[in-house]
Parts: sequence; C-alpha cells; structure tokens
Amino acid sequence: MQNINHFVHAYKIAPWRIQRQWIGNALLVVVGFAMVAALYLYVTARAAIAGREIQDLTASTRASQQASADLQTRFAALTSTSVMEERALALGFEPIQPGMMEYIVVAGYMPPQPVILSNGPQPGLRAPSIPPEYNQSLLDWMDEQIHSPYARGGLQ
Amino acid sequence: MRQQYIWRSKFLISVLGFLAFLVIAQIVRIQNSDEAAIFRQRASWYATEPKTFYPDRGNIYDRNGHLLAGNKTVYEVGVNLNDVKDANAIAMTLSVQLGVDYAETLNNIVNPPIPDLAYLIVTKSASAEDAAALQQLQITMQEQAPAGTSGSLSGLEFTAHPQRDYPEGTLASNIIGFVNRSGRGYFGVEEKYNDLLAGNPVQVLVPTDPNKAEDIPHIPDGTNLVLTINRDLQAAAEKTLDDALSTYGAQGGTIIVMDPRNGEILAMAVTPRMDLNQFWNYDVVYQNASEFNRAISVPYEPGSVVKILTMAAALDSGAVTANTGFLDTGSILVGGSIIKNWNDEAWGQQDMTGCLQHSLNVCMAWISTQMGTQIFYGYMNRFGLGHLTNIDMAGESAGRLKVPGDEDWYPVDLGTNAFGQGVAITPIQLLTAASSIANDGRMVSPHILYSMLRENRQYNVPAQYTGAPISSQTARTLSNMLAISLENEASQALVPGYRMAGKTGTAQIPTPYGYYDSALTNASFIGWGPVDDAQFMIYVWLEKPSTSIWGSETAAPVFSEMAQKTVILLNIPPDSVRQQLVSK
Repeated sequence: MQNINHFVHAYKIAPWRIQRQWIGNALLVVVGFAMVAALYLYVTARAAIAGREIQDLTASTRASQQASADLQTRFAALTSTSVMEERALALGFEPIQPGMMEYIVVAGYMPPQPVILSNGPQPGLRAPSIPPEYNQSLLDWMDEQIHSPYARGGLQ
Repeated sequence: MRQQYIWRSKFLISVLGFLAFLVIAQIVRIQNSDEAAIFRQRASWYATEPKTFYPDRGNIYDRNGHLLAGNKTVYEVGVNLNDVKDANAIAMTLSVQLGVDYAETLNNIVNPPIPDLAYLIVTKSASAEDAAALQQLQITMQEQAPAGTSGSLSGLEFTAHPQRDYPEGTLASNIIGFVNRSGRGYFGVEEKYNDLLAGNPVQVLVPTDPNKAEDIPHIPDGTNLVLTINRDLQAAAEKTLDDALSTYGAQGGTIIVMDPRNGEILAMAVTPRMDLNQFWNYDVVYQNASEFNRAISVPYEPGSVVKILTMAAALDSGAVTANTGFLDTGSILVGGSIIKNWNDEAWGQQDMTGCLQHSLNVCMAWISTQMGTQIFYGYMNRFGLGHLTNIDMAGESAGRLKVPGDEDWYPVDLGTNAFGQGVAITPIQLLTAASSIANDGRMVSPHILYSMLRENRQYNVPAQYTGAPISSQTARTLSNMLAISLENEASQALVPGYRMAGKTGTAQIPTPYGYYDSALTNASFIGWGPVDDAQFMIYVWLEKPSTSIWGSETAAPVFSEMAQKTVILLNIPPDSVRQQLVSK
C-alpha cells in the first residue's frame, strides 16, 4: 500500500507530467479556436451559398415570369378575333344569322358571367427575414458589439 | 552560462511581447479613432447600391378574360463599334434578319452619325425569335473563326427588355390607348389608369458584397384591369361600322353599345383606328388628339336624336302628354325667328307620338316654348348636356349647351335646341342622357372598367347612377311612344323579333362662316331594346354620308344590323321566346 502511495506521489510531481498538462491545455485552447473558426467558416460558406441560390432563384423567377408573359401574349395573338374568324371560315363555319338561332329551355342554365381572374386570396411568396446571425461576419459582429450603444455606455 | 541564456530569453520574450502589445494597441486605437469612423462611413456608402425594381405593367382583359394588352420580351439590338471586325457582314446579317436598310446600316457602322460613338442602336424592338437567330448565328461565326480571333459578327449586342403588346392589333384601339417606349400610357384606359397599371417602383439598397444574403424585395405587379367590353361584340361593331362607311360613303363614324342597366360599355367602335403595336404611327393616322376616340372626344350637333330628351322633359314636367294634340302648320316663330320642318312642309294634326315619328321641328320648338327656358334647360342640365359624363377614359370633352345668360344665347335657341341644333354634345353624353329613358328614369354613369385585379384579389366596380332626371312612368311612356313611332314608320331600324325604341337624327353641319352646309350632314340613330326589358343601347353616328344625307336611310339600318348582332352575341332571345319563358 505504501508503495502504491509512493508511486502516485511520484507520478504527481513528475516534471514530464506537468509539461504534458501544459501542452494539453494549450492544445485544448488551439482546438477550441479551430472549432470556432471552422464553425464560422462553415456558417459563412452556407450563408454565401444561400445568398447565391437566392440570387439564382430570383433570376429564375424573373425569367419564368417573362416567359409566362411572352407565352400569354403569344397565345392571345393566336386566339385573337381576326385569327379565330379566319380559322372558323377556313373550317367551313359561317356567321350565324338571327333567323338561324333556336332557343331552348335548359333547366338550371345560368347565363355567362364576366370573367373572374382571381383564384382566391393567397399569401404572397416571400422569403422570411434572415436574422443577422446567419449573414454577419465575426468582424461585423465584433464591430457591432464595440459600437453598440450599450458597449459605449450611451444608453442608461 | 545557462542562467545567462534564461535571462536573454526572458528579455527577448519581454521585448517581443511588448512590441506585439504595441501592435495590438495600435490596431485597437486605429479601429476606434475618429478617422476610422470616417472611413467606416465612407465604406458604408459603397457597401450597398440603390437599385430600382420596376413592376410588370398590368394586363388588360375584356369582360370574358381575353387578353387585350399584355407584355412581351423584345430585344434591343446594337453594335459595339469598338468590337466590330466585319461591318459588311453585320450590315448584311441585320438586313436579312431584321429587314433594316443594308446601305444605311453599313454607313452608320463605318461612319457613325455622332463622332466617337461607341454603341450604335439598330433596333429597340427585335422579336425574341429574331434575337435568338442572330445570337445563334453570332455563335456559329465565332466557332468558325480561327482560334484567338473574333467572329465576323463580333460587336453585335443584345439587351432584353419588356414591351407592351396588343394581341388584337387595331381592335378597340380607341378604348385601350397605348404605351410609349418610356412606359407612359397615352389615351384611353392606358392613360386613365396609368398609375394603376404601372404599379409602384420599389427602390432598395442592394449589398455590393455578393456573399451577403438579402431579402427578396416584394414588388407587386401593376394592377390588371378587366374591361366591360365584349371582344366579340367590339369586333362586330367595328366590322359593322367599317361596312357602313363603305356602303354609305361616310367620312367617319361611331358605334357605341352600352348596357343601360349599369352603364357598362359593351363596345365602342370608331374610325379611324390604329395598330397599337405600331404606336409610333399615331401622327400618320390622326390629325389631332380628339380624333383618337370620337365617341367621347368630339362634340357635334346631333340633330333630331335630341328630340327624345325634349319630349322626356315635356312629358315629365307635365307640359304635354302622349295624347296632346298639335296642329303643325309648317312653321313657328320662336325668339323672332321662323323655324320650319326638315322638309319645309306642314304635317297637320299630330299627337306627340306623331311628332316623334315624323321628327317635326316645329312641334318640338312648340313643346320647348310650352315648358319655357327654366324648365327646358333645367332638364337638359339634369340630363348632363354640357357636362362631362366622367367616363373612365382619357380625353373626354364636355361639349357645349348654351343657356340663358350666356353671351351667345338667343331666345331662338330655345326652339332650335329642342330639336338638336345649336347644341354640341358627344355620343357618350347623349347615350348617358338617354339611359334614363331606357332604364326606368335612372341615368347611369358610363364606365369601361369592370374590375381590378391586384395581389390576386379582384375588385368589381359597382354600377353608379348620376340621378333620375325623369320618373319611371315618363321613361316607360316615352319608350313606348318611340317604339310605336318606329313601327308606324316601318323604320329600317326595326329588328325582326324584337321590339325596339329609337330615334333618328339628321343634322346639317355648321360652317365656320356661321351658316349650315346643306349638302353635308351628320346622320345619327339612338335606340335600345327589348323595350320591355332594355338590355342594350346602341348609338350610331355617321359623318357626312354621301349616298344619302338622311339618318333614316343610313344610320337607322346600321343600328338594325348592329342590334341583330348584339342580340346574338349577348344571347337575348326574341320577345316571343322571352314571353314564353316568363309565362312558364
């Protein structure tokens, strides 16, 4: 038992152990900084990618809207009154005359009403507000902290 | 010796540590100095740049959802003169693909019209297909060029931008108006609702740092408008009008179809019309702005169609009844001047229906004198003569109704105004006034906007009424009198199967020299039907018809033709069918 106590005491006071403790603590600090830096780099990269994707999506949305508008006007031109009349005449149809009309009673018939283009209220598509934690650099954050009213003691 | 090294080491560590401390202290000092604040402020100026986002201009639809005005992408094609390698190839290619003049284009590239010009615009509105073909050709030429050199079409540049597009071309051009290259609306709905259609541009600060994520600015598009017009009815009205001008040799014309129950304009055809996709030809088509839409902008002396208003006033005020007798001697003295009938003849004993049927000026002048100036002009004022109808299209004219007290009003005007002389009104004014007769005494406010669509919500425009100048009893009595007069006269305005009410008008055209031109007339007709449930009103105005000067022989048959098309397109069954349906 005494030998064991002696061995433990010798281990505790060994110089190489003290050195290893110092080295270990220093490495721990370095690893801690490295982890923070890696995390910061990761978040910054993700934010940058997200920003690029937003720009791409915005451009894509804009292009789709323009393409949609182009197709809509093109479709309207293809179905314009003059074009449709020409096509109808070419297919052998002829304008109806009053004497050719025959009216019949259809139960439940509702006369056509003016167009309703709205398909009901819908929430507009909008990106949520991005909190500054996701796009603020470490230096920005430090700068903000230094120059914030609280840090300057401007607010009581 | 070893102790010496230890001290040296400690000394060096202290010196280096002190220097490091000085560096850090200096960094902190600089970061928090006044100069740093100035630099930070300056940096913030360049950290973002203002960018204006313009919303897409709203579309315009007819009442059935057919697109009348939309947007499409076109390309500005230009030549960067500093990058041109083969001016001849560029000029030839543009000439073939875009149809521009080869020699002129080549000359402009080789000898720019402005010294030191760097960029030459060839066209601002090349179609997407043309631009794509040119771009593909440019790429092909670049691929065929020797390595390290430019292709023969280098210098061609393309810039996409939206442009207003009107798929129907000339259809309803007078109603729609157009948008110029700077995006401003002119005439019609495009001008009247320019702010709504254009929307609100949004200016935002965009970070110059591309890695900074930003909110997408929410930019609502311009408001979409749904008009009251029926595209097919509009096309039918324009065709009818064009045929009428050809048949009767008229110099111009107008046809308006309106729903008297709510003031919705269903069709409004005028001449001339222009292709809205070539708005730059405006000066070629029109001599002045009022010609763009004569239906609302050009007041004229309409003649006998005003008699329905005179008769309405007389019946409503109690000055006469439908059965009141009048002995027409062929002339009457009003304000010291003699007024005669249109054919200078006496028509003998007449009742009020006969006065309308034969369109007797003498009878109408007598009726106005029975009412007196106060009552007569009071009614004309309530009918809106001389006032804007406030129809929602740009460029409306108020016309002119001289009233007692005006410098140029004379007592004889009471008699002449009663049959439509000496009064200048627009077709839309008369249609609005007469809507009170077709609509049981209630006068509607004419409008072209059916609804607005914004942020996916549709707001319908309710019908508005501008008063009730006459009673419902007066309106029904007068409608019946007008229907009888058409039937008795076997008018060319009659529509088989439908009972219609209406009145012709033939007005001589006043000259700048103060007298009327006997050879030139304005032929008009106003009518509505079916009489027992009026669902449409039609106004026809033919300017200076040459085959006949009379409205009964020109405007009346045009009304009949238009009414026959209207009942088909609006699905209005003949009177007999409707009565059967009601009886069931």
